[in-house]
Amino acid sequence: MNFCNRMIVTTLCLALFNLGSPRVAQAAMISTMQAVESNTRAQDLATVNAALSRAKVREQFVALGVDPAQVEARVASLTDSEIHMLSSQVDQVAAGSSVLAVIGVVFIVLMILEAVGVIDIFKKFP
Amino acid sequence: MIHACISRAVLLGIALALTACTASRQPVTAVAELDVPGVVELSDTPFFAQQDYQCGPAALATVLSSASVEVTPEDLAPMVYLPGRHGTLQAELLAAVRRHSRIPYVLLPSLDALFAEVAAGRPVLVLQKLGIGPFPAWHYAVVIGYDTTAELVLLRSGTDARLVMPVDHFLAGWNRADRWAMAVLNPGEVPAKADLNHYMKAAAGLEEVGQINSALLAYEAAVRHWPDAVLPRLGLANLAYQQGQLAAAELGYRDAIERGPGDVVARNNHAEVLLKLGCTREAADEIEVARVLADGGPFAGVVDSSADRIAAVALKDNVSVCPVVFEPAARVSLSR
Repeated sequence: MNFCNRMIVTTLCLALFNLGSPRVAQAAMISTMQAVESNTRAQDLATVNAALSRAKVREQFVALGVDPAQVEARVASLTDSEIHMLSSQVDQVAAGSSVLAVIGVVFIVLMILEAVGVIDIFKKFP
Repeated sequence: MIHACISRAVLLGIALALTACTASRQPVTAVAELDVPGVVELSDTPFFAQQDYQCGPAALATVLSSASVEVTPEDLAPMVYLPGRHGTLQAELLAAVRRHSRIPYVLLPSLDALFAEVAAGRPVLVLQKLGIGPFPAWHYAVVIGYDTTAELVLLRSGTDARLVMPVDHFLAGWNRADRWAMAVLNPGEVPAKADLNHYMKAAAGLEEVGQINSALLAYEAAVRHWPDAVLPRLGLANLAYQQGQLAAAELGYRDAIERGPGDVVARNNHAEVLLKLGCTREAADEIEVARVLADGGPFAGVVDSSADRIAAVALKDNVSVCPVVFEPAARVSLSR
């Protein structure tokens, strides 16, 4: 969690437990990313669950075969919003892989059409 | 005979329907009318032939190399490839760019933004959906050129160092990927046809993951490019606050508020810094302005509790002396 988010969480916790002298008030700063995302209305602004989501994504990456030595660095470079999105969708979001996969699909479709006589593009072997 | 004919017709109809699914449903783009140079090819762009399912690392190596990062797909695969998905996620491409201290800018989803970026000398990484239905066949490639008269797009793609696609074929695959495209910028560079929110999201993302120097350079470039906007100055002020430079932050928030008196975040954060500097009365006044502005918006909760807290402090405080001199905000450059 970055400094600002940690400050916000700390403030909320302190408010909850009514701790700390009023003279030593903790600041509740709103981060630049929160300002940007409120402009685009794209994300909810909950930050308290970021740590939990991050742990979940870490587990999912390990389950998907990422080298455990690499997981921390990879997760640390994702923003809270990206983590939030991935923690619920890592199996569904686009994963760019290969144009070879397309060729395979098209070939299968053509084979089926050839077999039922709709097309006749494959030369018969002598 | 008729039965066989009907069954063939049905199958042909299915085949045609499948083909139609791949065609673009977006409005037709009048390519020749785009406000960009007619023919561009970034022929110096390196080529990295992809291996297996690793178009992500290959495409990423291409665009990072163009931003002066010495890197190969083999270096990048451990950072972005997900074996269990046989591919690479878009978010992890952004993350890997951040790790190299560069700006991962997601373009506006339009052909002219794409072509303008290439015309500015930066190849663009694009996501394509080349398949359909249960076989989406997501693929990453890099646009290195185009021809608006011949209506062609040039790409480095997979094992093809120079793939030439008709624009409508390119659009078919790119449209179905929601026209996602990413350029890699050196901190200090601003994209062609730059969108403020897209740019600031990229810059703030750098800050969020700890690439502070790159974020600082990015915010400074944004201030130069959008001198009347609030967000870039807010970015600088927030950074100064995080670095403990309270006086510089206070000036920065005033700078931002001058350009956006109705901005909740600038007002809120300004109030917090004023409080920290011992300007209790000024902080209380400022947070009340913020409270009114925040009403009904996404920050209402945070600002309300801040306002209550600061008001309570102000009531009890009759000793603090505010060191700030409230002249018009001077231009402040932050120490690095």
